[in-house]
Amino acid sequence: MSTRVLVLLLLLAGILLTTLTVTLVLRPEAPLSIRGLGKYYVVYTRQNTSSPEAVTAIVWDYRGLDTIYETVVLYMAIIGGLALSTTTRKIALKTRIGLTSIARTATRIIVLLIATIAASIALHGHLTPGGGFPGGSALAITAMLIIPVYTLQSLLDQGVSSTRLVAVRGLALTALGLVAVLPVFRGLEAVTNLKFYPSHVAGMLISGSLWFYNLFEFLAVASGFAAVALYLSIPEEFYREEIRGVRGGE
Amino acid sequence: MESFVYTLFIVVLAVNALIAIYGIVYRRSLIKKLISLTILSDTVFVAIILVGFIFKYPVVPPVYSGVEGEEVFLLEHASDPLPQALVLTGIVIGLAVNALIAFGIIQIYRLTGTTDAKKAVKVLVEEVLEE
Repeated sequence: MSTRVLVLLLLLAGILLTTLTVTLVLRPEAPLSIRGLGKYYVVYTRQNTSSPEAVTAIVWDYRGLDTIYETVVLYMAIIGGLALSTTTRKIALKTRIGLTSIARTATRIIVLLIATIAASIALHGHLTPGGGFPGGSALAITAMLIIPVYTLQSLLDQGVSSTRLVAVRGLALTALGLVAVLPVFRGLEAVTNLKFYPSHVAGMLISGSLWFYNLFEFLAVASGFAAVALYLSIPEEFYREEIRGVRGGE
Repeated sequence: MESFVYTLFIVVLAVNALIAIYGIVYRRSLIKKLISLTILSDTVFVAIILVGFIFKYPVVPPVYSGVEGEEVFLLEHASDPLPQALVLTGIVIGLAVNALIAFGIIQIYRLTGTTDAKKAVKVLVEEVLEE
């Protein structure tokens, strides 16, 4: 028996023994009901925010300002990553080989499915579990799927460049900030929800500003992560040359 | 039985955190350090979720579907939405930090040709001495 398996077995046995001992000796009580604050949120979110989904209501209404700054943190991290990988020349790679036509057809179908599901996660964020961030991450998966199957160059030929993606990301972030700031011009507080935004549009529940936040967060996260995927997939040799060129030029 | 599952959760989380800290401190590969860091952050997230979780069947997400008299059922069986919202925020920040660290590691690899922390420092120091 190898050492790894032995260590794993010892670890599992230790966990089980400790758990049994603690259960029998200390008798900890598992929580059977949530705390008072949680009960408040479960009962009152629907009246206060008109959103049936309590988590989205907390994220974008009760703590909306917090979430907007969190999005800014994400943006700064992506900008930092791109700054580390900045290149001065255009990508000199012209391969269009990719994978077989079976993989291409399958990818085409799967990408459509992923995009649909991502949109539904984001746009139904105020009704069901999900929201802008999970939806955007799901949409960014399509870029990661297309790059190995169709190659980076074909994506660039379609006009999907990292500059444009970062531009989309910036526009979406600006729109997000506008949604938060617009109520101020009417003399209300920033991140006001139902006093400024309508709860229903054409008979459909959109829960005021929550739907707009989810939409713009969806666009911002998707384009940001797609840009990261593009930068990470630039081949290694290209960067080596780039670094050598910069050092030689100094 | 609920008590056993609850304790098992806590013990497993503690062991997970210890393994992650071991990985961060003793592993020399930067990639493995990053993986350990993600394991540690995920452990913390599960611990926060555990604060708002209830050990009762069935546990449902705190979402209204529009059925009459649903409030009473949700009060009894819904999990606490507040820790979930906090974890959502935490995941996003963690992802941002991880992406930045990953870019940093890639840059170190491009500059030094290795992801081993000690070797990378050695290569960089030698370059400085040469200049």
